[in-house]
Amino acid sequence: MREVAIIGVGIHKFGRFGEEKTGYEMGRDAVIDALKDAGIEWKLIQAAYSGSVVGRFGDAIVQDLGLTGIPVINVSNACATSGSAITLGYQAVAAGFYDVVLAFGYEKMPRGFIAIADPGISGMGLIWFGAIGLLVNPLYFAMKIRRHMEDYGTTEDQLVKVSVKSHKNASLNPNAMYQKALTYEEIANSRMVCDPIRLYELCAPNEGGAAAILCSMNVARRYTRKPVRIAASVFKTRLYGTAEVPHIYRSANIKAPTPVMEAAKAAYEIVGIGPEDLDVAELQDTHSGDEIMHCEEVGLCPPGEGGRLVDEGATEIGGRIPVNPGGGLISCGEALGASGLRQVHEIVLQLRGDAGPRQVKDAKVGLTQVYGAPGVSSVIILKR
Amino acid sequence: MSKKQVPVREGLFTWGAEGPQLIGSRCTRCREVTFPEQQICPNCCTQTMERLLLSRRGKLYSFTIQRHQPPPPYRGPDPFTPYGAGEVELPEGVIITSVLTESNPEALKIGMEMELVIERFFDDGEGNEVVCYKFKPVSKY
Repeated sequence: MREVAIIGVGIHKFGRFGEEKTGYEMGRDAVIDALKDAGIEWKLIQAAYSGSVVGRFGDAIVQDLGLTGIPVINVSNACATSGSAITLGYQAVAAGFYDVVLAFGYEKMPRGFIAIADPGISGMGLIWFGAIGLLVNPLYFAMKIRRHMEDYGTTEDQLVKVSVKSHKNASLNPNAMYQKALTYEEIANSRMVCDPIRLYELCAPNEGGAAAILCSMNVARRYTRKPVRIAASVFKTRLYGTAEVPHIYRSANIKAPTPVMEAAKAAYEIVGIGPEDLDVAELQDTHSGDEIMHCEEVGLCPPGEGGRLVDEGATEIGGRIPVNPGGGLISCGEALGASGLRQVHEIVLQLRGDAGPRQVKDAKVGLTQVYGAPGVSSVIILKR
Repeated sequence: MSKKQVPVREGLFTWGAEGPQLIGSRCTRCREVTFPEQQICPNCCTQTMERLLLSRRGKLYSFTIQRHQPPPPYRGPDPFTPYGAGEVELPEGVIITSVLTESNPEALKIGMEMELVIERFFDDGEGNEVVCYKFKPVSKY
């Protein structure tokens, strides 16, 4: 296995951009941004992995950038879509099939709650379950954090604080959807969506694009003095004995580690480090409670102590382990197919020291984590 | 004339005079229970399942109130009315996700006893009333 580096990252701002801008064009613009960041020409790309949940023809990119005949593989894996695209690119380069590949993602999500697209044909096959009102993602987030509050004493106050941090960090991120810092009261008084989750604690599905150029390490040194190494890129589905988004039932007898725990554990083992060695993390904060629970699931603190991590300010920029310095999903929104690559974009900037006013001091090791329906997770560890 | 009642899907529950029950299955090897019934045990990965009618009563494991209209294929009332949703742990060792009859969060508490009921969800447009399971608090909290 060869070492794999990221030599360039690109992004199209996350937000809402109207009829005139297609999702695919945002992905393409992110690729152009990444090529510029890497300082390489499109002709050098030997294969591409295109992530989108709604879009299906990422290979359209060759028309805009050049018809070089490269394979372009379309990837769709819910919130873990671009994590999957990176994992495929990483494996191809690590295995020696290619020296330089592209992973990019884009999305143009309809407004409102995410509909589990065409449940009849998507493989979810749960039309009746949706008809009675149980195919709603936030409902499952809410039940999970409600039980966490019961078991560990996590509080609504802590949920508000996570969102305060998110919006504060995003006010320093020009690519975030919401760049305005919100007060504690504004968040605590926003309307209840799924008890105990409030509107300003919940991420909005939106639009955007992100891209990364992956390269074997020996080739990377030709192009950059600051390659960021992909130390591990892991993708997992769920084990028997977990409760996912959504679930008709779960076992009360068997409690298995979540796909996030499994992906994080495998990633740490590959790298030979533990969570204590991380300097910065971008986690899937689909809502405030998710950030708290994912801090625990990737091992930033023991189970049940994610709320305390918030109270201690440990996850703030400048804290012991800054989480979501770019504002996370709560403030950037979730353009599904681009979301994991947005996290990678942020961590790469952090590790190169290019994150400007939101820079985590001297960050050397970072982690990204996504989680999605119906129980998928991707965890990536990056090192400078 | 009252409308004919039809289940949202066949095979999910019984609803005879003796009271409703969810139809699940249990693995004859590992004893794990699924709902709905399925042929292959998701724990053992083998065809070792037998049909099992689940207990009517269980304990509330977690809950929320859905306060916004879900996206399609939701077929609830128009205009939308908020509803409770929860997980109910049954003695067979399975936790069922269900709509609740109660939509006031103050009236719900984790650990409280719940009971299965069959209720109307929507009309199918062909003169039938579509019913499915819900869980109802056994006593006021």
